[in-house]
Amino acid sequence: MLENYLPILIFIIVGVLVGVIPQVLGWFIAPQRPDSEKLSPFECGFEAFEDSRMKFDVRYYLVAILFIIFDLEIAFLFPWAVVLREIGMFGFVAMMLFLGILVIGFIYEWKKGALEWE
Amino acid sequence: MLTNMWNWFPGWSQTVIIDLGLIIVIVLPLMLGVAYLTYAERKIIGYMQMRIGPNRVGPRDWLQPIADALKLLLKEIIVPTNSNKFLFLLAPVLAIGPALAAWAVIPFSDTLVLANIDASLLFILALTSMGVYGIIIAGWAANSKYPFLGAMRSAAQMVAYEIAMGFALVGVLMAAGSLNLREIGLAQAGNISDWYLWPLLPLFVVYFISGVAETNRAPFDVAEGESEIVGFHLEYSGMSFAMFFLAEYANMILIATLASIMFLGAWHPPFDVAPFTWIPGLGWLAVKVCLMLFFMLWFRATFPRYRYDQIMRLGWKVFIPVTLVWIVVIGGAIFLSPWGDVFH
Amino acid sequence: MGFEQILFYFFAGVLLFAATMVITIRNPVKSALFLVLAFFNAAALWILLEAEFLAIVLVLVYVGAVMVLFLFVVMMLDINLVKLREGFGEYLPYGGLVAVLLVIELVVVLNSPQFGLGEMPDPVGQAADYSNTRELGRLLYTTYVYPFEIAALLLLVAIIAAITLTMRKRKDTRYQNPAQQMSVQAKDRLRVVKMPAERKG
Repeated sequence: MLENYLPILIFIIVGVLVGVIPQVLGWFIAPQRPDSEKLSPFECGFEAFEDSRMKFDVRYYLVAILFIIFDLEIAFLFPWAVVLREIGMFGFVAMMLFLGILVIGFIYEWKKGALEWE
Repeated sequence: MLTNMWNWFPGWSQTVIIDLGLIIVIVLPLMLGVAYLTYAERKIIGYMQMRIGPNRVGPRDWLQPIADALKLLLKEIIVPTNSNKFLFLLAPVLAIGPALAAWAVIPFSDTLVLANIDASLLFILALTSMGVYGIIIAGWAANSKYPFLGAMRSAAQMVAYEIAMGFALVGVLMAAGSLNLREIGLAQAGNISDWYLWPLLPLFVVYFISGVAETNRAPFDVAEGESEIVGFHLEYSGMSFAMFFLAEYANMILIATLASIMFLGAWHPPFDVAPFTWIPGLGWLAVKVCLMLFFMLWFRATFPRYRYDQIMRLGWKVFIPVTLVWIVVIGGAIFLSPWGDVFH
Repeated sequence: MGFEQILFYFFAGVLLFAATMVITIRNPVKSALFLVLAFFNAAALWILLEAEFLAIVLVLVYVGAVMVLFLFVVMMLDINLVKLREGFGEYLPYGGLVAVLLVIELVVVLNSPQFGLGEMPDPVGQAADYSNTRELGRLLYTTYVYPFEIAALLLLVAIIAAITLTMRKRKDTRYQNPAQQMSVQAKDRLRVVKMPAERKG
């Protein structure tokens, strides 16, 4: 099994190198003429007048939390889908119960307006 | 003499060298594909809008992508003041790395697959979920308002559609009974009627649209919509910007390839009879991938941009329920209905 | 030393380095990113153990989802770095105590006659076509179906808790209801009134 993972490891290293090498090349080949106006952050032509790292709507956290929960659901669904024919009706009903419980949560989200983006 | 030199290398390094060669055989055509996808995009959208598109560099402008790459190479890489320099330059690497590494497990035909791991589909899902880091870090490291806002929006959009995508994949797994992309492809052997496109049509639609949203492409490109807000890569220039560009297009090709493998019968010809079987499997896969890519470009030329709340609504409130219902339908079909053997 | 062992020591070394950086580096965002690196190396170690499914799910769930939330939080809360580091020396003895206890426990477990390294046979290497996911699936939804359903309940509790903790209805927002927009009829918006033509003079 492990021999199959060696090419993946090499591919990840190659992928990182493909990201690094052009930037290094660009750093050396391209001109470097910085000035303070060029390097200032973009602000529609104004001087930046506020710290750019601002507080955000709590909604983004909620989306991220719900994402984790649904991602876990997917992690549970994957092995189930693969062995569905072997575990038969029992496994199918077990997953339907699992999904049923989570659909209750989904309906709760929906009714509470957690999925609303106003 | 050459074989003597070759035998001089220790066993494991021989494997590494061969793998490296194969990886280059995958990555170089991919890069070329990305370059000419940008060309095709401009030409196709040009013709759709009754324009000619680029036509200056070389015969029929065939050299335009090369000229673009050279231009980007010669442009200054601007690192804004107050930015976090290391993370600022790391973000493009985090965007392109996973986008390329996912190709390690893609089967190009029945036999052409670099790393035939059992859980290849899960591996791709895990790697594409890492693409979000490039975006978040790019937006944060620049220390500038618009990129930060754009990055947060892009990230929230990507995670929402990743769920829909994952659920859509569950349907494919149920039908094929395997996580291995090669086996998923093999399960669709035969004619066009054996493709998963038909029994899994809603999932195909959800998967493909989610794929477009995942790659932040039009009509879900709020992150770079000129009229809305400028995107997470606003402060990037030169080669650093090119890396994001490369990652986006490599991801587009990846999504198109996955859709072809999982729903459009992979490398199988549409009809298992003589004139169709003359073309090798790799050729058929390429044709299907080009078709999918053409649809993506067509979307961009046709649809107006979605508003952000509409994007989130579509992902959470339409796609997730549709996929959940269809998972139950497939399960019911496998166990209860007389058509259960649609899925072999 | 085989190639596999070299890889093991490499990944383990990076893992330890990343874990140390998580707690020592100043910038919280960088600290979170080192945690990502640590998870990634842990996944690589699990793959060396041939726990394919768990390794990839570790990347999918922890790197792809949990750490995204962490990053959202540390990026968007203005964390005062100086304040955060004030208690470092104060907590050091407690932390050290826990660490020492953990080390003692590990040593006891590894040396004990019940679970010692000598007692447990080396796992057999699996064939190239062995499916880790399939094995897991066969057990999880049959033998361990009860814990599996409990997991669903835990996730349900997590959904409800997350919503009750973070949902704040904002009064000042205005938004459109697309369904209402779609179903609007011309006669709801526009009234055609019949009037006699007016004559001049």
